[in-house]
Amino acid sequence: MRLKKIMTDFFLLMALTTNLSFIFNPNPYELVITVVTNLTATILKLGEGKILATEMTAASLVADLHLIPAAFIYFLGNVSESVSLATGALAANIISVLLSIIEAIFSYLSEE
Amino acid sequence: MPALSRSKKLKTIRKKLRLRRRGEKTLLALYQGRLIESLKELRIPLLLLHLSLSVGTLGYMILSGGNFIDAIYMTVITIGTIGFGEIAKGTDTPEGRIFTTFLALMGIGVFTTSVTIVVRVFLLGDVITLLKYIKVLSDIEKLKNHAIICGYNKTSAWLVEALRKRRIEFVVIDSREEALKYMQLHNIKYFLTEEPYKKTALNAAGISRARYLIANMEDEAKNIAVIVTARLLEPSREKLFIYSTAPTDGTAQKLEELGANKVIVPDKLIANRVFSYMLHETGGFVSDLFDRIAYGEEAELEIVEIRVSERSSLAGKKLKDIDLRRVYGVTVIGIKRSEGSLELTVSGDTQIEEGDTLLLLGKPSDVKKATEFYREVLV
Repeated sequence: MRLKKIMTDFFLLMALTTNLSFIFNPNPYELVITVVTNLTATILKLGEGKILATEMTAASLVADLHLIPAAFIYFLGNVSESVSLATGALAANIISVLLSIIEAIFSYLSEE
Repeated sequence: MPALSRSKKLKTIRKKLRLRRRGEKTLLALYQGRLIESLKELRIPLLLLHLSLSVGTLGYMILSGGNFIDAIYMTVITIGTIGFGEIAKGTDTPEGRIFTTFLALMGIGVFTTSVTIVVRVFLLGDVITLLKYIKVLSDIEKLKNHAIICGYNKTSAWLVEALRKRRIEFVVIDSREEALKYMQLHNIKYFLTEEPYKKTALNAAGISRARYLIANMEDEAKNIAVIVTARLLEPSREKLFIYSTAPTDGTAQKLEELGANKVIVPDKLIANRVFSYMLHETGGFVSDLFDRIAYGEEAELEIVEIRVSERSSLAGKKLKDIDLRRVYGVTVIGIKRSEGSLELTVSGDTQIEEGDTLLLLGKPSDVKKATEFYREVLV
């Protein structure tokens, strides 16, 4: 279970950091890596029935639905629109990471 | 010492954070949880498919100098076995061809396997069944004044037919495989494949909003369990009417003491019916008349019972005072007194008392108007 938590958190954080760096300095590879890591985090969260986990899945899906169009729009030439979509995805990613921290605190308290 | 104080602190935080546990999970929540969990099966195939698409897209992007749209298109046509050719820039070079070869070797297998698993999970797996079940449970939540039939057998099938005629909604609960086939054959709209004596099953069938419960299990012990559980969930005999069957008078009495409103002994019922035909040799018209009225088969006539409660303004009045015949066109054909006697020779001077049950006879529409008025306004 711990390994799964490491994997999920890694992809969540990775998505957040690359998303943030893309907003500051738009770069095609960074955008694709953001999409890839975000989708991986969503897939890893699929099937989790607990309340916080479902909230995280929902937040991840929101980020995906911002980032996938952002990728296409970026390569069609509208960089500013793509950056604004990525900013929307960033909000969802921040919520995902916050929820992940809350989940970690709760599991720590119940284990100790 | 520091370790001890840390553990104390943690205990305090845990106490503060501890929320009161909710009661038993509802069946709907349980199935929704199962549906979400069934999506776990998709994780590995989706991850593999995602990995192939990501590796392919990033690889072709590097080869084509950062063209995302060409790269994803090239990846999809390669692993999807479409193979339109080397469309993206840089794919017709030796490096590009080596990359495409390895991507095709890895991706085609992953693509076909993943698609097969995804289709299997959605079409052949539990997902569709769970979705159907969730739909049924959500629909049941909207039912009111319905009947709950626990156990599906030939008697239940006849009962279902009668309920359909009267447009009374019903939910059938039975966990047996053969019952499930039988229910599907009879096109039962709302059914739960659960043990009927479980609280979760009865709650899911909407016992708090139901008007009737029929405990019709093959096993007597199960009937007892159903009646007891139902009465625990809905103690009022006036709000939920429980009916059951029993093999002997003794068992019937026990079931009534446990909470059933009325228990029928089938063998005794058949014997009495045969005897009533023997008494009315001409053709059994009289024997069948009340049944036909009660079952709604006599379209022009209906007979209903109205109980006079303690708070009712009907108590203490004479039949001529309420004048049902003139106002609603229905006749009081008898009064069942609270001590159990049946008075059939009623007149305008007959007095209504607390706890009496009035037997009203008339056209279905008139009877409905009269009962609605007395139930809502006076009784």
